[in-house]
Amino acid sequence: MTQFTVIAEDVRVFDATVRDGRMLLRSGDLPSALGWELKPEGLCRGDVCVPVRDVESLRVEDRLDLAAVAGALRRPVVVDNDAGIAAVALPAEERARALDALEAPQFTLPDLDGRVHDLAEWHGRKKLLLAFATW
Amino acid sequence: MIGVALDDSPDDVKPFTDEITFPVLLDAQHLTTELYAISNVPTVIWIDEEDRIARPNGVAYGTDTFKDFTGVEAEPHLDEIRRWVREGVVPIAREDARGAVGQLSDDEVRARLHFRIATEARRHGDEEAARRHFVQAAQLAPNDWTIRRASMPLVGDDPFGPAFFEFYEEWQRNGRPYHGLGPTLASG
Repeated sequence: MTQFTVIAEDVRVFDATVRDGRMLLRSGDLPSALGWELKPEGLCRGDVCVPVRDVESLRVEDRLDLAAVAGALRRPVVVDNDAGIAAVALPAEERARALDALEAPQFTLPDLDGRVHDLAEWHGRKKLLLAFATW
Repeated sequence: MIGVALDDSPDDVKPFTDEITFPVLLDAQHLTTELYAISNVPTVIWIDEEDRIARPNGVAYGTDTFKDFTGVEAEPHLDEIRRWVREGVVPIAREDARGAVGQLSDDEVRARLHFRIATEARRHGDEEAARRHFVQAAQLAPNDWTIRRASMPLVGDDPFGPAFFEFYEEWQRNGRPYHGLGPTLASG
């Protein structure tokens, strides 16, 4: 068992095992890692379920292969077993569709004092989103 | 106005925000560069009352401080903003706005994942893994400032040193790729 950092919507640390190059999470940790859980009907978040063709390909005994689950959710993923870090992108097609439809994607980020803000706080107002950097 | 700083830590940003009255958010993991296909800074995105993108990613400045370097004047874009706020006039047709940004390629998305792993590895003190993933990110998205320029201070490269000028020339040769609209030019 080793500590693994998973960077998805949040950055979280889990106990994980690596077997045959696959990073395996406890099944119970999947919802806090990716926001989805594995049920008999597929991968589910709330009422929404994505059917999974081959559930056994996601599972190793009582554990789940993070990269395989991300793949089933159409989320690009990079796993570094040596560094103990994995990063999972947003569902690629959903993201591309929103941008194509000119829907401003929602996000939640901290301000410089650590207070968390949601883009939705400014719903009903015109906004200029300014991406900048000091580099 | 909502600022999103693509910086590694609040301490990098705070020295520059003394006079700023709008909220500034910190996006150390570059989540917004994935969501909005942002490939350089500054990028300005107009978002309307209904949370639709009125004018997608564009290069724009608040002042003419960098005008000699960038060739971009602040005023024409500021005029467009004033017309939008006062009269609701958007300077780009919706059919032109759609597709103006260009979707991130699979490689550009993977580059963001490597960048995130690299910054996290750095936080863990694993410089070797950090460097490895910064290199992979740069290979996957060679023209992306939010990857290449952003990683320079994190690997100890001088942001105005040889590594930067090498990247800058490469980006010029490749036709200055950018996910978004070109700058608003002065009319007439």
